[in-house]
Amino acid sequence: MGFNVGIDIGGTFTDFCSIGDDGNIIAYKTPTTHYDLSVGFMRGMRELAKRCELAPRDYLSKVHALRYSTTVGTNALIERNGPKLALITTAGFEDTIFIGRSRSWADGLPMHEVRDMARISKPAPLIDPDMVVGISERIDCHGKVIAPLNREELLAKIQLLVDKGAMGFVVSLMWSFLNTEHELLIKKIIEEEYPEDYLGSMPVTLSSQISPKAGEYTRTMTSVVNAYIHGIMADNLNQLSSELRDGGYQRPLILVHNTGGTKKVSRTKAVLTHNAGPVAGMYGSLAVGALSGNPNVVFTDMGGTSFDIGVIVDAELRAHDFIPVIDRWRTNIPAIEVKSIGSGGGSIAWINELMGNSLEVGPHSAGSMPGPACYDKGGEQPTVTDADLVLGYLNPDNYLAGEMFLDVELSAGVIEEKIAKPLGISVLEAAYRIRRLVDARMGQEVFNEVALKGHDPRKFAVFACGGAGATHACGFAPYIGARKVVVPAVASVFGAFGASTMEIRQVWDLSRTLKLFRWDQQHYLEDLESFNGIVRGLKLAAIRDLKLEGFREEQMEFHLELDMRYGSQYNLTKVSVPRLALQSEDDVRELCDSFTRRYSEIYSPEAAFPVGGVNAECFYLSASVRQEKAAFRKEAGGGESPAAALAGSRQAYFDPAHGFIDTPVYDWRLLKPEHTIHGPALIDAPETTYVIDRGWTYVMDAWRNGVLRRDS
Amino acid sequence: MKAPATFRYGRDYEIVQRLRPEPMTERELNAQSLIEGLDFEIFQHKAGMVALEGKETTMRLGASTAMRWGDVAFGIYTARGDLAVCATGIYHHAVLSQLPVKYIVKHWRDDPSVGLAEGDSFFFNDPFYGGVHNADMGLVIPVFSEGEPVCFIGAAVHTGECGGSEPGGMVNGAKSRYDEGLLVPPIKIGANFLLKEDILAMLSNMTRDPRTMMLDIKARLAACRIAERRVKEIIAEKGSDFYVGALRKILQMTGEAARKKVARINDGVYRQPRFMDTTGPDDALLKINLTVIKKGDKIKLCFDGSSPAIPDRPINSYFQGILGLAMVYFCGWFCHDLPANNGLLEAVEWEFPEDSFVNAKGDMPVSYAPATQVAFAQGMFMCGARMIYALEPARAVGSWYSGFAVTPFGGFNQWGEPVADITPEINATGAGARPDMDGVDAAGAFFATMSDCGDVESMEADRPFVYLFRNFFNNSYGHGKFRGGSGVGYGVMVHGVPWLAIGGMGFGTRFPSTLGLFGGRASPPVFVQCVHGSDMKSLLATGSAGLPHNMGDLYQDAPLESGQRTLGHVSSPPQLYGEGDTLYVPIMGGAGYGDVLERDPERVMADLKRNMVTPWAAEHVYKVACDRDCRRFDPEKTRALRNEARGERKRAGKPYAEFMVEWSKLRPSPETLRYYGAYPDPAGRDAASAAGGVAS
Repeated sequence: MGFNVGIDIGGTFTDFCSIGDDGNIIAYKTPTTHYDLSVGFMRGMRELAKRCELAPRDYLSKVHALRYSTTVGTNALIERNGPKLALITTAGFEDTIFIGRSRSWADGLPMHEVRDMARISKPAPLIDPDMVVGISERIDCHGKVIAPLNREELLAKIQLLVDKGAMGFVVSLMWSFLNTEHELLIKKIIEEEYPEDYLGSMPVTLSSQISPKAGEYTRTMTSVVNAYIHGIMADNLNQLSSELRDGGYQRPLILVHNTGGTKKVSRTKAVLTHNAGPVAGMYGSLAVGALSGNPNVVFTDMGGTSFDIGVIVDAELRAHDFIPVIDRWRTNIPAIEVKSIGSGGGSIAWINELMGNSLEVGPHSAGSMPGPACYDKGGEQPTVTDADLVLGYLNPDNYLAGEMFLDVELSAGVIEEKIAKPLGISVLEAAYRIRRLVDARMGQEVFNEVALKGHDPRKFAVFACGGAGATHACGFAPYIGARKVVVPAVASVFGAFGASTMEIRQVWDLSRTLKLFRWDQQHYLEDLESFNGIVRGLKLAAIRDLKLEGFREEQMEFHLELDMRYGSQYNLTKVSVPRLALQSEDDVRELCDSFTRRYSEIYSPEAAFPVGGVNAECFYLSASVRQEKAAFRKEAGGGESPAAALAGSRQAYFDPAHGFIDTPVYDWRLLKPEHTIHGPALIDAPETTYVIDRGWTYVMDAWRNGVLRRDS
Repeated sequence: MKAPATFRYGRDYEIVQRLRPEPMTERELNAQSLIEGLDFEIFQHKAGMVALEGKETTMRLGASTAMRWGDVAFGIYTARGDLAVCATGIYHHAVLSQLPVKYIVKHWRDDPSVGLAEGDSFFFNDPFYGGVHNADMGLVIPVFSEGEPVCFIGAAVHTGECGGSEPGGMVNGAKSRYDEGLLVPPIKIGANFLLKEDILAMLSNMTRDPRTMMLDIKARLAACRIAERRVKEIIAEKGSDFYVGALRKILQMTGEAARKKVARINDGVYRQPRFMDTTGPDDALLKINLTVIKKGDKIKLCFDGSSPAIPDRPINSYFQGILGLAMVYFCGWFCHDLPANNGLLEAVEWEFPEDSFVNAKGDMPVSYAPATQVAFAQGMFMCGARMIYALEPARAVGSWYSGFAVTPFGGFNQWGEPVADITPEINATGAGARPDMDGVDAAGAFFATMSDCGDVESMEADRPFVYLFRNFFNNSYGHGKFRGGSGVGYGVMVHGVPWLAIGGMGFGTRFPSTLGLFGGRASPPVFVQCVHGSDMKSLLATGSAGLPHNMGDLYQDAPLESGQRTLGHVSSPPQLYGEGDTLYVPIMGGAGYGDVLERDPERVMADLKRNMVTPWAAEHVYKVACDRDCRRFDPEKTRALRNEARGERKRAGKPYAEFMVEWSKLRPSPETLRYYGAYPDPAGRDAASAAGGVAS
């Protein structure tokens, strides 16, 4: 028997999930070893082997694929420990990455920091300003060279950068995505000057190869971020691959991409690994959604400090982020969008005296250190977890499967001092308000995210993952309008679970403006080859790349999407294109019409303006490799009654009308499929607590996922 | 003063006085009892999310430069027109965009020929109601519940072209408001959820860029409709009485919070006269005599002693526009932790003289009002810094660049499509220096804090320009112990079209527009260069090295580029530029903070290394000595230079009275003063009175 294994490294824990060929799932968590991520990684592999009753070498030799969502690159950005890079750009644009479209100070920051204008700052740059040189050359918006590259100037400036200690070059020229001639020439010259057999040979990153998209700032930053983390990731992952090989793993290590696919380490662009964990979680939602018949899913992950939100429509990951932020940098990678807001168990409740003593929760968080007051690590601010504890939801003696004890007195004390007394209400009332408020805010944020993508949030099932997801799902779901919540069986290691199910897939993208319908002439594109040639080129690149991974063309599937816009709009709307080639004007018309239909769905028909001209601006060809879907083992049903799993009861507070009530508590490990629990009730699971509110019913499905439905 | 007019067939002077929240209606009052703390807190967040969704949607769908780069205000107004919830970075709209709504309520709601019904939409761009200038256009819709209007929803955005006698939304040569293009008071442009095509045809036909006009209108409307759905969902859940009462409560609480914040400031009188150097088409000295009186929980803005109105120049501003810019300071700096709505004005009083260019009347043109308004705002920054220093010194900061160097243009683009708009670099000014750090380089625009300057490639994609450079400008900011953030300079060449009309809107060429704080220096004056008949195209084609790559290069060696070079005022009427002609525009930096001689020499050295300060300024302004070639710092020589500079200051110092005797002998030329009013006090009082007797 073989295994598919997913690994997801987080800030606190590294999660593992092993799915056997028999569909059996084994999950494991271990603290992340920040000093050397491979230590925790290998510890996890040994533990999985142990749980499969195999020796580590035997286990690893039976693993079909290790899919890894790594934070090595992210950590390098946070710690700013990347190499000393040099940037070669078009003369006259040396400050582009420092100007940062002027508002780069706001990128990656929460709203409350963005509004405090007196204290804003731009992030420390990844490239020192004196390591940036401009080269005389210029290409225009049609891709035409209007100023040739000056070779002598280039040579002198390369020498200057080398003398200053450059450890790698990023080359990003104006309009290079339309005409790569000058970037390629610069690379050739550098490689001629510092050939591979010289010790001074250095990597050269071309923006036209890393990110062939319009927008010089985002294109350059995508290339800079990639170059910055490339070496560190390569070293780290090569070392890890060696350890795995020595341990018995025979195949290449596979990395999870934020574009929603996976690729071998050797065929991965570093920048595509950022924030891959939540994307893997979304992929897990796809797998569980398919089991439970939910094609439209809002993926949520509530942890200690943040609340992640992702949207799946028609069983597809199609919601790409528009100029996504990596660390503090806007990029243009075609990443799946996962929004993160500052709400979690550690969010601090406080009284806004200025605004009439109104209660606020967040955006500040107690984090994991000192953490909520109940952790007894010095936390002096009331948090959401403190409220959950005071309300009786959490078991103070068995939190995180008994790994931590919680002090309810400390929670009650800080809530009384900071919230209840100033508001003149009881501690219970204060805790209840904190919980309601944070639930409402999370639900409203989810609603907005789904609605902004043009969908009705009420038609989505909510997937509640993360340590606090099951505890708050019944609270925030009503604010989304959702009537169904799914808490996956492996919710606490859902990123790892998702990773273990992911397919080989990559997106090839390219910016090209094609006027599909011209406003000034009111007619459709006639030069169909201008469209078809672009798609053909992307497809050839995809086939070449996947063949190098060892796949045959017959195994590959392609899907084309376009970013489109009316006239001179800035923002783009993504449209799925059913065919890879346009045959006639009717096809062009249909493409324009499908854009208008999609646009009208999202923004209302009143917003559509087809006579204003329709442009295609960016082409995305995703190529995936057909693979058998993982089969998960079903468990036999145990009938509706969960009596056998009843572990006792706790006093819990669900609303002021009923006050504290004696609430049944079930042991998740003893629950069986078909067991049905009506709220109010609590379920203690090893890594979370399910809070089933009044008016909700819980049923465990055949795969041990919890399905919560709001009674009508 | 006579009672304000309420005449419908002209301008309504009464409605523009109603900037503060309307008195609470009986319904709003009765509804307060329905609003429980938690429900209200949840509602507040939801309403904020609705506004944010509306803003995001408007931005995504619009087409004009301002829309593309985020210069959008989206809000929910009470049924009487007060703006309760707003998502924006252009905070002046947070208090100004209510006026058109109040106009609709007053004039059209009960008028049988217009009326107010579900599915209606109203458009407006008359700056008298919008407060700023014609290019700021808005759209608003009523939301009904059980047959009653419960609120309005609206979006206001700067659309870059409004059909004036010059392209790009700002008319340098405007003699009256009739030169400034579309002048639409709030009118119904849609009913039964349908836009009226005949009116759209008229509006688009009256501008140079009909496509952008249409896309922007549709963007506003689509966003409003989405927000309408959300509001109805709230009402369905909570009831319309709760909704009406909760909107009102947000306003009420904001007003109370603003008064609380103001009350914490020390009482006092704070003065910051502001000067401008242009009327639009001609150089002249103008004065905005700002006095801020802080007493108790109120701040009063007084403008007595400002220059008179100029009936035939576009530099005039409506008083409400000035107040709007005061709110930019409030929302972004002083009250950044409060909601942005017109409840903030509960803490503000104002007094404008009748005859003043900061209180435009009648048919006066106002195309350049943004310049006047930002000139005032700079005074607000400086008074604000002094007011809050004792309270929150870290927030007593220097002003962001408060001049203007906008480049309006119009013609056809390289695709043969008509375009008329402005360039986005006004959103790349430098921020003011702070008590503990330099201002942010190329931070944005203080009046549009959510906007950015976009990518050059985005501009070149459908504007007929090739940018020759866009880099920091190391002579753009105010020096100081902490320096202002650097601005940028950019050069463009007209490309792919036979001609393009390009103008300029701004001020601050004759003297600085942005003054330093607490001893910090001002940002320097700003000049625009253009070269007609330029050979830049052939210089590029031959791969010439030595072309300018930043604004500073233009002032260094003799330029390679030949042609008819003009160094001019940022304010200029549009001229035709042929293909290959070039234009160079500086976007300036923020004000300096503190004495230049207290700047840590290491900071100067770091700036030298980055070319963020010129060697000249390092030596002559900061008195930092270094080896120019290897950039090695010489501490001994620096100490000596600084001591010498301090000694020189002492020698140059003189008693105030003595200084005043000499100073009072000086007087600008009559030509310079022709729009100023009486000198030195434009209001015509004697010098002693004008000097004032209350310490600030």
